[in-house]
Amino acid sequence: MTDDLTEIADKVIETDVLMIGGGVGGCCAVAKAKENGLDVTLIEKAHIDRSGSAGQGIDHYEGFFTRDGTTTLENVSNEDWRLGRYGVRYPNLNVKYRLYKCQFWVFEQLEKLGVPMRWDDGEPYWIPFPFVGWERRKTGLRVHWTNIKPILGRAVRRSGARILNRTMAIDLLTTDGKVVGATAVNIRTGEFIVIKAKATLIATGKLMRLYNPETPMPWKYKFRYHFCPASSAGDGYALVYRAGGDLVNMDINAWTFRIRDDLTCSYGSFSLNDGVPMKTYTWDGEEIINPNATRYKQLEDEGKTPIYFGFDHFSEDSHKRLEVAFADERMLSFKVAEERGFNPKTHRYELQDLSPTGFYRVSGIYIDENFRVLRGNEPIEGLYAFGDGSAGGTSGVAGAATGGLLLAEDLPEILKDMDEPEIDISQVEEHKQIALAPLAVEEGVEPLELESAIRDICERYVGMFKSEGKLREGLRRLGSLKDWLGKLSAESPHHITGYLECRNLLDLAEVHIKACIERKETRGNYFRSDYPEIDKDMDGKFFSQRIENGKEIIELREPIPLKPEYLKDAEEEKAELQTADAAS
Amino acid sequence: MADKIEKTSDKHYEDKFEFPLWKLIKQRAEEKGISYAKAAPAVVAEYTKTIKYRDPEFEDKVIMARAEELNELGKKEEKLGIKFKDKKSK
Repeated sequence: MTDDLTEIADKVIETDVLMIGGGVGGCCAVAKAKENGLDVTLIEKAHIDRSGSAGQGIDHYEGFFTRDGTTTLENVSNEDWRLGRYGVRYPNLNVKYRLYKCQFWVFEQLEKLGVPMRWDDGEPYWIPFPFVGWERRKTGLRVHWTNIKPILGRAVRRSGARILNRTMAIDLLTTDGKVVGATAVNIRTGEFIVIKAKATLIATGKLMRLYNPETPMPWKYKFRYHFCPASSAGDGYALVYRAGGDLVNMDINAWTFRIRDDLTCSYGSFSLNDGVPMKTYTWDGEEIINPNATRYKQLEDEGKTPIYFGFDHFSEDSHKRLEVAFADERMLSFKVAEERGFNPKTHRYELQDLSPTGFYRVSGIYIDENFRVLRGNEPIEGLYAFGDGSAGGTSGVAGAATGGLLLAEDLPEILKDMDEPEIDISQVEEHKQIALAPLAVEEGVEPLELESAIRDICERYVGMFKSEGKLREGLRRLGSLKDWLGKLSAESPHHITGYLECRNLLDLAEVHIKACIERKETRGNYFRSDYPEIDKDMDGKFFSQRIENGKEIIELREPIPLKPEYLKDAEEEKAELQTADAAS
Repeated sequence: MADKIEKTSDKHYEDKFEFPLWKLIKQRAEEKGISYAKAAPAVVAEYTKTIKYRDPEFEDKVIMARAEELNELGKKEEKLGIKFKDKKSK
């Protein structure tokens, strides 16, 4: 079998663990899996030193800590309830609970990897208690993580893992329903690579690129997508979907008012980090409460938009904190401000109009609490996902690092009795043909043009306020774009990235629109103009989508209930706390 | 009205502003011949000493004052019949 493979592939790698995605989650998983004695291969389409959502740094660790270090069921269920009001539902709270449970272990693990978890004086610095009643926000650490990615990159190199930077996954390889590795292409050399793996892990971040970025100059500041850089094409979602795994809640977009291209201090982010909220103004200077979607629409009708953020009420101390936040998370903010002459002490910062952004923390790859990717109710053997791209109910470093570390801790036991993977050669040939096709197209279309067209369809026909006619028209138009994939050309292997990303985006836009067509109600921040009421039958439910025997399946599902042992854990923990409180 | 519009006027885009911290980071990067990212940690560590990060009394005061302002603004909007999102977690 391997002989045949070597005739097709430029490189064949056999490994215990294939990690697709070298962001924070991927790096943590790889370092830990190596520590546990496994043979590990990491592929990253950019470079692990600055790739992923944390590429420019991170200034907070929203690690679900509470000040007294407790993790209670109450925290978890409150979060579910809170989000439920806004139209979203955790598909599986057990994942969230497991992530909650081990945060202090994760703190130690990250320190072991060289990540600075403490403030300059050597002690953790808790984010100040901000809004009255905004409970979630007393659970994070303020951190200086400008260089978290190079630090983790070093840890991965030290671990001795096989690192393939500038290498993009084409598709997963499956045999008898199991995932047995993946094909990939080196986007510098065009080298076609086959990786046989007992376990394939996916942590490729959140899908963001179906909608416009916050900047009107997307190609100049393309990497400045909110929460994620340019890499956020939902690659992992598409790999899983094409391999038969379920995607869930794909109708649910996140949306927020983001500061346009000025400074990347996002809506609420400074209040998250240091407790002091910005002021929000209409364009003519009237201070308003941060509007919700309905109120924003009203403001538009009244001619009061764009709306702006102001920092001019800040004390000198708060202005300095703002600077440190920029240095820690997105130093580019300084550069942009410098170029455009922004001054937070006097200027107001335009907020992007109301529109969807990426997908929500409950959207994406359907997983169980062991990070196994699910097909219907059953896990797919050999396939795991965690981090922003999984519907684990967390987002950011906390979810990604924790998921990666926990899974890597379990892997030796998981792989112990696993058979050697067998590869279906015909799949490999097909993948090679798909990936290298644009190199042979002369005078074709550039991938960016197709990506813009896909995004335009999502903005125009899905957007914030949806309706049956628009969604159906959007789907038709999207269908007409599929032929264009074959017309994309790649002048060099580097352009294969854009082509493969477009392939992924086309598939995911279709999944997204079909989920929206299926959901005929308005709830929270999900708006259907033709169905303005809540559909009670949808309470607590969510859609899952997959491909089975070449057929698209969309199902309405109930969330997986919390396991009895987790409930017991929580009760015991609560009792312990009460005892401790009484004693103190 | 003119004063209020001033905040978003073109005029503000003409003044060049230099963030003090950014200036320090650039200086160190140039002196040491290193990247901004490599220069940042040492500079930031010094800069944080000038900020009241470990003064909970100060932080709480600022936060509560702002929370009070927001409550007042909320009441004003409610009087105008404007309904805004309830951020309470319970």
